[in-house]
Amino acid sequence: MSGASDSRPRRALGWLRKRAGNVARIARWEVTKNAGGVDRRTVAIALVALVGMGALAPVVLSQGIALDDGIYRVGVTEDSPYYDAVAADDTFRVQDPDIEALYAEKQEILISGDHVARFATTTKGRAAVAELRSTVQRYNDGLMRAEANQTAAFPVLVNLTYVSRNVTGVDPPAQLAISNPDDRSDGGTTDGDGDGPGGDGSGTDGDGTTGDSSGTDGSSGDGTSAGGDGTAGDGQSGDGSGDTDTASGSGSENVGGSSIADRLTGGSASGAPSDISPPFPFRSLVLAFIFVLPLNFIIQAYGSTVLGERINRRGELLLVAPVSRGDIIAGKTLPYFAGALGVATAITLALQGSVVSVLAIVPLALLFLSATFLGAMFARSFKELTFVTVTITVSLTSYAFVPAIFTEVTPIALISPLTLVVRDLQGQAITLGQFAFSTVPPTLTAVVCFGLGAGLYREEDMFTQRPIPLKVLDALAGPISKVRHVGVMTAVLLPFVVVAELVVVALLFALGEISIVLVLAAVAIVEELAKSLHIYASYAHSRFDRGLRRALTLGVASGVGFFLAEKFQLIARLGDLTSRDIGQAQQNDLAVLGADVPLALVAVALLVAPLALHVVTASISAVGARRSKSAYVGAISVAIAVHFAYNLTVVSFLVG
Amino acid sequence: MSGEWLSDPRATIARRDLASLSREKTIVLALLIQLFIAAFSSFLVVGLTSLYDPGSVSADDIVIGVAGDDADALVEAAREQESVRTLTYADEESLMAAYRQGEVHAAMITDGAGGRINVEVVAPTESIETTLLVDQARTLLEKVEANEREARAGNLERTLVPVPDDVDASQYFGFTYTVLVPLLLFLPPFISGSVAVDALTEEMERGTLELLRVAPLSLVDIVDGKALAMVLIAPLQGLLWIGLLGFNGISVANVVPLLAMVTAFATIVVVVGLLLGVLTGRRRQAQLLYSVVVLFGFGTLTLLPEHPATTVAKLAVDSATTGTLLHVAGYVVAAAVAFVLARAVVARTDPETLS
Repeated sequence: MSGASDSRPRRALGWLRKRAGNVARIARWEVTKNAGGVDRRTVAIALVALVGMGALAPVVLSQGIALDDGIYRVGVTEDSPYYDAVAADDTFRVQDPDIEALYAEKQEILISGDHVARFATTTKGRAAVAELRSTVQRYNDGLMRAEANQTAAFPVLVNLTYVSRNVTGVDPPAQLAISNPDDRSDGGTTDGDGDGPGGDGSGTDGDGTTGDSSGTDGSSGDGTSAGGDGTAGDGQSGDGSGDTDTASGSGSENVGGSSIADRLTGGSASGAPSDISPPFPFRSLVLAFIFVLPLNFIIQAYGSTVLGERINRRGELLLVAPVSRGDIIAGKTLPYFAGALGVATAITLALQGSVVSVLAIVPLALLFLSATFLGAMFARSFKELTFVTVTITVSLTSYAFVPAIFTEVTPIALISPLTLVVRDLQGQAITLGQFAFSTVPPTLTAVVCFGLGAGLYREEDMFTQRPIPLKVLDALAGPISKVRHVGVMTAVLLPFVVVAELVVVALLFALGEISIVLVLAAVAIVEELAKSLHIYASYAHSRFDRGLRRALTLGVASGVGFFLAEKFQLIARLGDLTSRDIGQAQQNDLAVLGADVPLALVAVALLVAPLALHVVTASISAVGARRSKSAYVGAISVAIAVHFAYNLTVVSFLVG
Repeated sequence: MSGEWLSDPRATIARRDLASLSREKTIVLALLIQLFIAAFSSFLVVGLTSLYDPGSVSADDIVIGVAGDDADALVEAAREQESVRTLTYADEESLMAAYRQGEVHAAMITDGAGGRINVEVVAPTESIETTLLVDQARTLLEKVEANEREARAGNLERTLVPVPDDVDASQYFGFTYTVLVPLLLFLPPFISGSVAVDALTEEMERGTLELLRVAPLSLVDIVDGKALAMVLIAPLQGLLWIGLLGFNGISVANVVPLLAMVTAFATIVVVVGLLLGVLTGRRRQAQLLYSVVVLFGFGTLTLLPEHPATTVAKLAVDSATTGTLLHVAGYVVAAAVAFVLARAVVARTDPETLS
């Protein structure tokens, strides 16, 4: 007995060691083969070009790349005070003032004497005026810099500090009515008094706010300023008390830094008013690019090596070697994964991030690599691979950085691991729950992609020119041999469903009213496909008999699998999201996303409805799938229609 | 050699390459990608501002708390700025307390030391909201500065140029034409070049070039055909882009010169790609060199009087000069020369050394 229990761990250890050895050997082979794959002449030419680029860089930088040279045309004479300002800015091209040219849209701004006489009423014309405004301000500052009396030239000195506070929205006290700048006639007198808030309590602050909106007329403005000079001082301190403790602790952390990260934010600034610059709003975009860009290059090389195995049956040698498929895939992937992590680590160090940033890049790197792996298994030629990798680049990059733009705005931004990076670089704490919420879905998706790709890593698929749709069916049908596998497969596909639905929401969001209907339709299509495509695939591979009863069982299995997976991920998400305060807007988003989300929240009894829906629609598709392709197409159309009708009913019921 | 005999096989090769693109659905994929980027970029440019919930900070509802010696100057200036309201606090402590409790969007603490108005601006840490805030605060302070300069004009030797009135302008206008449009128009040529490298080297690596050469075709014909196919799809994609931009309300002028420029660029990069394919004979080498050489070449173009991106911007925004059109003509001539030279090089290459 003791011998058996003793040898089992040893055997497991030996097995592990063997796997690790195999993986390491293939990884080493991958690295050396690729390093030797490019000859010296190529490297030399590439180096010369790179050195040339390096030599060119200072020249380019010294000249600056002004892309907007001469895009606006300004008519101004040399005696105008504007002439020097306009002539000094390359964005403008100086012309003689000509009203005919302005009408003919060959001139945007016409300056006569010391004022802007006319400008084209096109978008271009207005943009030109806005540009002229800032040009003139810059020019004026330049003039003032030459002044002897600098105190008079720059009478205002600004120091900008960022102090974080923990409030969800700004709620100005009703005393605001006093200093409403709209009451030009009398507002000034009350302001001058400088009466502070938190003075005597007020009974009229409710009136104050209404008066404020209609405050243009003199008498009502008077009335509010007379009545509303007190704010509910104690009320405010009461409502604010919950927030103050956190605010004081995390104050002004960004001040005065000179690291790259700080320069990206704009950090804190001081000087004349025109010297302070608003923080770059899309700092997250820049960060996203810095972190995601190397991944795009790495997947180029990775996709190329995976497809390289499939050209001229090169990979066959590896397949017949005494190593498992998993070893080969892991070994071929490892160097690229390590490279991605190495680059991410270097970037993190440069930006002074913490280990969280690197950990957050892990799922992203896996996602990029797994998608490329799957793409390279599908692609039939390098041409096709080029497009596949571009698709992956575009879609995954947008998945990573579109949510990260909204890091500060909504907790939903956490669906992208890049949001974690942004938060980490801003020095915000990240809870374990947030980390898991952000990284688990992409990791699961990556695992699924690798799994589907591994299903194709076999002779029949690697070395033949099977059309992509058939390969998709191969990949889907691969792991299915029992009825319950269908349910599991549906659950496994859920991350794709979620991602696809998010993309749909992101794309259709801007369309306004109609977008809700379109989103509901798209959601129905995506979900029905995810529930039935693998059923069709397994019928196409004759995994099951074609009886009606079996088709219904498969439909039920798929529907139940989808329902369970969806509810599980919903619970996981809501559990995390509601812990922070999400507004009504986000809840509405979720309602659009899942269509039945609020139902689940309203009552457990209503769980039955979505379950029934998923089972019924999946069964409809399954019944069609057992016959033929055209029957499947017809059946899934019916299923989509049913699903769409259900979604529409639920949403209109909720809204109305 | 009659013209008919000469042109036919090349057209066949071009058709064959285009057919393989469409058979593999890659062209569909390419169009989908472009559609996606178009939707994505318009979403970024147009939708971003509207997506951000305007309830918390709408442009007409920024409240700035002011305190200190020169608070009046700020209040005075704010009166002329529609989007900003000020709220005067007795001292720094009460103002900062109000800031922490979320009564004001930003705080400004003033003191008059050294004959100047020193303003300490306190704003929340970085978010889109902060950008808006700081931008408004800067406008306010610039107004204060202008007022003060006016008041102290006696001490100044130079007169200021009057600042034009503010107009309601799209802040994305410049970005759209100087970054987005050039990016979208240069993307198809670069993709074409990369695909051209693949189209040639793949035939070599798979050994199908051998088969092609069994047909009565010279290597020049084969390369010509491949170049034709890849060059043609670039302006078509460019046209699609321009159409999509127009659909998104961004009108692009001078479509013909723009497409001529796209075609010229496509020709140059495709020629470079095919030459590298012929010279190296291996996909990996050719692709590596292609990306490095094209990047380098594009870098050297900044030395021109007008950057290609600026040329595109000026054409698209309808501010083209004679110089702009001369640049376009230059690119077309360069493309023609590159094509002729490349044919000469290919004609001198011994096909037997290739595969």
